[in-house]
Amino acid sequence: MSKQQSLQEAVSSIKDRSLLALGGNALHRSPIAFVEELIRQGKKELAVIKTAGALDIDLLAAAKSLRSVYAGYIGFEMLGLAQNYRKGVQNGEVTVHEHACASVIAGLRASIYGVPFQPINGFQGSELPELTGLVKYVTCPFTEEKTAVVPALRPDVTVIHANIADEKGNAYVDGALFEDEIMVKAAKRVIVTAEKIIDSQAWDVTPQIPGFLVESVILAEKGAAPGSCAPLYTIDEKAVVAYLKDPASYVEKVKGAVSHV
Amino acid sequence: MSNTQHADNITVAMARFINDGERVFHGVASPMPAIAIQLAKKLHAKNAVYVSIAGGVDSTPSQFSSVSTADATLREKAVVEFPLSDIFDLSARGALDVAFLSGAQIDGQGRLNLSAIGSFDEPKVRLPGGAGSAALLPSVKRGILWKTNHDKRGLVDKLDVVTAAGNTELVITPLAIFKRADSDDRLQLYATFPGVTVEQVVENTGFPVEQHENYHEFPPITDEEQQLLAAIDPDGVRYSEFR
Repeated sequence: MSKQQSLQEAVSSIKDRSLLALGGNALHRSPIAFVEELIRQGKKELAVIKTAGALDIDLLAAAKSLRSVYAGYIGFEMLGLAQNYRKGVQNGEVTVHEHACASVIAGLRASIYGVPFQPINGFQGSELPELTGLVKYVTCPFTEEKTAVVPALRPDVTVIHANIADEKGNAYVDGALFEDEIMVKAAKRVIVTAEKIIDSQAWDVTPQIPGFLVESVILAEKGAAPGSCAPLYTIDEKAVVAYLKDPASYVEKVKGAVSHV
Repeated sequence: MSNTQHADNITVAMARFINDGERVFHGVASPMPAIAIQLAKKLHAKNAVYVSIAGGVDSTPSQFSSVSTADATLREKAVVEFPLSDIFDLSARGALDVAFLSGAQIDGQGRLNLSAIGSFDEPKVRLPGGAGSAALLPSVKRGILWKTNHDKRGLVDKLDVVTAAGNTELVITPLAIFKRADSDDRLQLYATFPGVTVEQVVENTGFPVEQHENYHEFPPITDEEQQLLAAIDPDGVRYSEFR
């Protein structure tokens, strides 16, 4: 049976207060079409896991759909701060569970390994462990070495955007895979949006994302725009700058639009 | 001094500090390090190993994005994959030589704040977050930090939040280069860029400035370096942090 669904159907399965992991990095190959449909459907109090986020997180903050973020970095790189996220945190609407990107990965790995926490070499001299409570210390039972540990991060749903997927959920990313594979393996459920959907007999490249872990597949052309999806399209700088100048109009446009897929 | 001169100085300084054979990383929002690594690999550090978020090893980009340094251009001509998660692991086991990092605030011990201005829980300004720095800085062999402005707001005696601490060896600014003293982990004034006085540095630095025993004026950019910079980065993406 094909796992292909419409964007609306897949998003309607996301409950308010879900813990989502979003694939991609910064403005690259993030599932923006999916995020915009979350906003259209008025999802509330979402928590999001990301190593480095940008438009995805900021849009959810601008639309008041965001409760908290587990991430190392939220910003628009050379285009500046994520202003809606920043304001959301400053006025207490959004909770930052500040991680180092490496500890997001470590938390996801704990879920992959089926264990409650993951040792990590890091955070020496940092105030983040004390401030966030997300890093604690244990004594290694073998060497008695003091070791930092982070709790498992187990997304309710991981959503990634791929270049190509098939009806079984196998998916191929052309270019940097970022943390997508780790997020997929750590999650309870996985949704893949893709630029193109092909027949599972028609692959001429090897997909990295195993379909048996994927619950649904959605055709979303330009599904990462105005971010990039290499090699098909690069960051639409004009559109991102327009968003940063007037996020409210952008969100209104998203809400008013009928999903294009 | 113009911003273009600042950017060229910082980029060339970064390149000169990369040693041949070292494994070198930069993260998001890091155009000057990205270009400096290419410059170093064309000069004295041909065997430096370049890894980045874009995931390819030793790429030679034909151009740079003025928006992002996690961009696919930073995969061009790379032949093997080495994703970010592997880079963090590399650093964690003590096998990463250089990481280029930055901070909204940097203190006299080379610690950095990218979390918040004001308190962490009730920030005046929420900052982007330290990205990989809290994990990388304690484990990388040499942390090279930079700032695009040199003032008392950014170079502080006390950080609002200590996001990351560890092996900061150098801090490069538009005015000067600080180097950590072997004796007490304090940053000392190691070099000033041409036309900058020590007094200027002292006046604009929030932590006490002591001179390093090898303090010197930064040797001006050579013609070869300038020509290579223009060839590597004809679009001037290295200036994008100054706009």
